[in-house]
Amino acid sequence: MLLTAGIDVGSNAVKAVVLEETSAAPRILGRGKLKVRGGELDEVVRAAFELALASANVRESELAYIATTGEGENVPFRTGHFYSMTCHARGGLHLVPDALAALDVGALHGKVIRMDPRGKVLGYRMTSQCASGSGQFLENITRYLGISLEEIGPLSQRGAHPEAVSSVCAVLAETDVINMVSRGISVPDILKGIHLSMAGRLLRLVRSAGAEGRVVVTGGLAADTGLLAAMAESAGELGIALDLVAQPDSAYAGAIGAGIWGAYRQRKLTASAGSA
Amino acid sequence: MQQLEPLIARCRDLVEDLDLANVKAWKAAHPRGIAIGYLPIYAPREIVHAAGGLPVGVVGAGEELEIVRGDACFQSYICHLPRSVIELALTGRLDVLEGMIFPSTCDVIRNLSGIWKLSFPGKWTHYLDLPQNFEPEMGGVFYRRILHEMYAELCAMTGLAPDTECLRASVRLFNENRRLVGDLYAARAAEPWKFGAKDSYLVLRAGLVLPVEEHTTVLREYIQLCKARDVRPLDNARIALRGAFCEQPPLALIQTLERAGCYVVEDDFLPMLRWPSADVSEQGDPLDALVTSWLATPCEAASRFVKDGSEKGCTLVDSTREAKAEGVIFATPSFCDPALLDRPMLQAALQRSGIAFTSFKYAENTGQMQPIREQAGTFADSIKLWGEA
Repeated sequence: MLLTAGIDVGSNAVKAVVLEETSAAPRILGRGKLKVRGGELDEVVRAAFELALASANVRESELAYIATTGEGENVPFRTGHFYSMTCHARGGLHLVPDALAALDVGALHGKVIRMDPRGKVLGYRMTSQCASGSGQFLENITRYLGISLEEIGPLSQRGAHPEAVSSVCAVLAETDVINMVSRGISVPDILKGIHLSMAGRLLRLVRSAGAEGRVVVTGGLAADTGLLAAMAESAGELGIALDLVAQPDSAYAGAIGAGIWGAYRQRKLTASAGSA
Repeated sequence: MQQLEPLIARCRDLVEDLDLANVKAWKAAHPRGIAIGYLPIYAPREIVHAAGGLPVGVVGAGEELEIVRGDACFQSYICHLPRSVIELALTGRLDVLEGMIFPSTCDVIRNLSGIWKLSFPGKWTHYLDLPQNFEPEMGGVFYRRILHEMYAELCAMTGLAPDTECLRASVRLFNENRRLVGDLYAARAAEPWKFGAKDSYLVLRAGLVLPVEEHTTVLREYIQLCKARDVRPLDNARIALRGAFCEQPPLALIQTLERAGCYVVEDDFLPMLRWPSADVSEQGDPLDALVTSWLATPCEAASRFVKDGSEKGCTLVDSTREAKAEGVIFATPSFCDPALLDRPMLQAALQRSGIAFTSFKYAENTGQMQPIREQAGTFADSIKLWGEA
């Protein structure tokens, strides 16, 4: 029984999983997720990792490989680090085995990653430095609107007359939203407008990456039902054949992918040490 | 023996000190001594040392110096190194040097020597025309004459008489230094987790401004201290780095490669410290020995002519395998003609040998590391996940 851990250090949250390799698909034994919130990153990483260990009822010493991804290049107790696209591709495939691409929407960036059935990255596209298609932007908006993150999706889906929001720049988009609030536009319509703007941006990315068919949504915004609904609506209008699928563990996709690659590397290293 | 952290910190201070305080201190302690600068990629440091001089490697100003006057001398399609060298000189930072050696590395360095002569007519300036004919009767005779003249001119500046034993003693010192440089590379290839690429680079680069005797001590201590470190190996990709033999990358670039999951187990930074590839003979006439070493035991370099094109890249393949590197990263300064023209031939040799590679460009003042981080990270992943090992 090979046990590994994957830790995805994001700009907004640290996600950790403990995995057990089985003869079929790897099994997730435990999870840990903590917001960074300006605390000492090393401590947040350690705490999220401990949470995952505790929920898996596994000791650190039992792990064969601790893999990091995202900003986890300097985690001192790592065995190895994998690049985030590599991990989201593999993690996405674990969650949706017949996916042809992963759409990773995190706090700062949106990425579309095309992969083969082994999880090998075939190509990718990424949003530019502007954060208007990202979770951080959405989190800022919730503060202006005085709502919680969990409320965004259900409220957005109630929007009947969405207001157009700048899809180019987060600063302009935030200004748009402040203006809408003072003009008395309803919160559902504002949110729906934001989601449609983000959806348009992400769909352009999907198209430019050449992704189609079944696409697994990963990253923190996979839980935003409003965004997924807006994407499905916009894809239909644009004639893009997309089947977007999110899973309850989508936010952990990077960590899951890291843990799976860690197990793969461990087997490879053991085999190469055995043959040497 | 000093501790590792202070040793690295001292080397970093030396590398980052654009005012060459260490050279000034050496001159204060050696009133008859002269400091002679030299540019990449090779200069016969033994000659300067034997004449009572301190050879000082000048490899640009990195990212710290704003280029104001240097840009006026070179077109936009010229690499960054000559701009920062001129900037250093015109701002008085190289005043401590009595002279300068410009090796025939490329057209840009040749032009730089011309600009230098015009800017500093009173300084001793030597354009070192390294022969590309490697026949002893032709290139050898030519090169010996050059070395003989250079030695005589430098001795005239210090008041010492050219002396065979003195030159032989210098050859011995630089042989010892190069052997330790080789030991450091070998030790790092064996246990890269103990020898950080950035720290090793700093320790090596300190050799551009330290007296050779002192640098040899630093190298010896660094190797011992690193070997004794209790560091856990990481599952990183082992890579060799090529193309950075003249204009040096910013430290952040080396650090970025390490953080992206790469162990740099072989590189071509600072070739002047590794050239020639074997000991210079300590027997017979030392000038003849230096000539023979240039002709017969070179390092592979873009600036050195290879008659048989099929040999191009063979040394890279060999050194990659010897260091057990799993892939090669070509990190090349923008507009570096020798490196960029060589790269397709080197890549072809790697391809024939089934060695993975990737490539990107940098300048000594590159500040944005994110694209390099992404490229190096995905390259490391592809080696680890889809490579043979």
